[in-house]
Amino acid sequence: MPPEVIAQRDPELDARGRTDLRTLEAGLDALQTGDVSSRSGVRRILGGVVPPVILVIVLLLAWQLYTVVAHPRPDLAPGPLDVLGSFGSAWTSGRLPVAVLTSLQRGVLGFLIAVAIGTPLGLLLAEVRWLRRALGPLISGLQVLPSVAWVPAAILWFGLTDATVYFVVLMGAVPSITNGLVSGVEQVPPQLRRVGTVLGASRLQLATRVILPAALPGYLAGLKQGWAFSWRSLMAAEIITVGGTIGFGLGSMLQQSRELADLAAVLTTIITILAIGIIVELLAFAPVERRLLRRRGLLVATAVGR
Amino acid sequence: MSTRTAPPAAITVAGLGKRFAAGGAPVLDDVTLTIGSGEFVCLLGASGCGKSTLLNIIAGLERPTSGTVEVASGNAAVMFQESALLPWLTARRNVELALELRGVRRDRRRNEALALLDVVNLADAAEKRPHELSGGMRQRVALARALAQDRQVLLMDEPFAALDAITRDLLHEQLELVWRQTGRTIVFVTHNVREAARLGQRVLLMSSRPGRIVNEWRIDDTGPRRIESPEVATLAIEITDQLRKELRRNAA
Repeated sequence: MPPEVIAQRDPELDARGRTDLRTLEAGLDALQTGDVSSRSGVRRILGGVVPPVILVIVLLLAWQLYTVVAHPRPDLAPGPLDVLGSFGSAWTSGRLPVAVLTSLQRGVLGFLIAVAIGTPLGLLLAEVRWLRRALGPLISGLQVLPSVAWVPAAILWFGLTDATVYFVVLMGAVPSITNGLVSGVEQVPPQLRRVGTVLGASRLQLATRVILPAALPGYLAGLKQGWAFSWRSLMAAEIITVGGTIGFGLGSMLQQSRELADLAAVLTTIITILAIGIIVELLAFAPVERRLLRRRGLLVATAVGR
Repeated sequence: MSTRTAPPAAITVAGLGKRFAAGGAPVLDDVTLTIGSGEFVCLLGASGCGKSTLLNIIAGLERPTSGTVEVASGNAAVMFQESALLPWLTARRNVELALELRGVRRDRRRNEALALLDVVNLADAAEKRPHELSGGMRQRVALARALAQDRQVLLMDEPFAALDAITRDLLHEQLELVWRQTGRTIVFVTHNVREAARLGQRVLLMSSRPGRIVNEWRIDDTGPRRIESPEVATLAIEITDQLRKELRRNAA
């Protein structure tokens, strides 16, 4: 419409129409966006923590009851109190803290190296289609291959050194991280790419402002799996490779306890390995993931389900 | 046809053809049309007639197989059926992104985005994320974002098709106000005859297989219309009759 026609229109009438529309829309908006009252943080955390804690207590009680009632041989089936005693002595002797620290340090460092390798690799595969076609199946295949299978080769290549452990960790974690990023990018809704193009984004802007943020949930899932694979691979590597310049990690402690036929110490170590895995998941990944999903409105369904 | 002098052309489409597969059936065949600056044109047709393809070609999202498209102002803003807002950004930041990609200076983006959200009566929802908004509110944010592109031509691909009738009615009014206030050229794709008769100054009817423009109605602009008004109903009946004729022709 040419500007002079606008000028002919009655401005007062327009203004009245505008105020009226404002009121109508405000009314409809208020109807359609009910307040989503979220449960308080404390209650939510309690709801997530109490059931598993109760389950653990029940399992421990059943275990203790079994040892009291059935009197199994303590070297074959130690009770929870035996394991607790073993835990206490391993902790006070300093063996357990050293093992935890060594393994955790290696696990975290190995994971960070895996992120530093897997992320650019994933970006490259997501961006270059022929490379993805060529390398994609291989990387998916590596995810299936248990990384412990690399231990013998790594020992032959690197000897009994930290390099062997890190190599096995990387072979476990890098494929997960790469795959997570690639599938995250693949699942970006095509209309978001189109809108980026329409808004005039350059290739770089499209990647940094639209595609990467949209791929974040998939990438985070890959990181989570990457950490799990790092930790598992690390334990496998530590169990198999003992001696040389390899320090004393949880896997080494597990292997040593087996050689001493000390089942209580074996169970102590297993529980510690499990606990560390759970703690890292709860402290590092869960809060980031919850925040990410809640911002995008992807958490509503699960929150109601709880 | 009115006798007033035609406004300068905003969009010129000449001999446009589109095939998705080489040697396949044409989706669009020899489409020629001129849309004047400031016109509100509705592109109407049954689904599958190629109207969205035509819009995408004008938007530069798809390339024509033959023919030419010229948008006088260079580029066009586009609104889709889905709001396609970035779900991790608030309404304001979604609008700000369009301003940023247009090259607006950082210190001016916030106020400009809030002003645009106020145009669609959403200033109060500026800090909400898309999932906290209703479908109609999301489309209004998308409209504010399209306005943030500050382009003379606004292309809309069934933007209200997924909304309920009450919301849609208010959005018609909203869009008409925006059009009158900003003097944008709007091409509005729809399969809803009444919507076309309610909104357009010009309604173009497209046939299917191949997509061609088969008829055109011009509606004298006598100020805001309502979708329930008898004039709109009369026109809608006339257009529907023509549309059915096209469908029968397709069956033959």
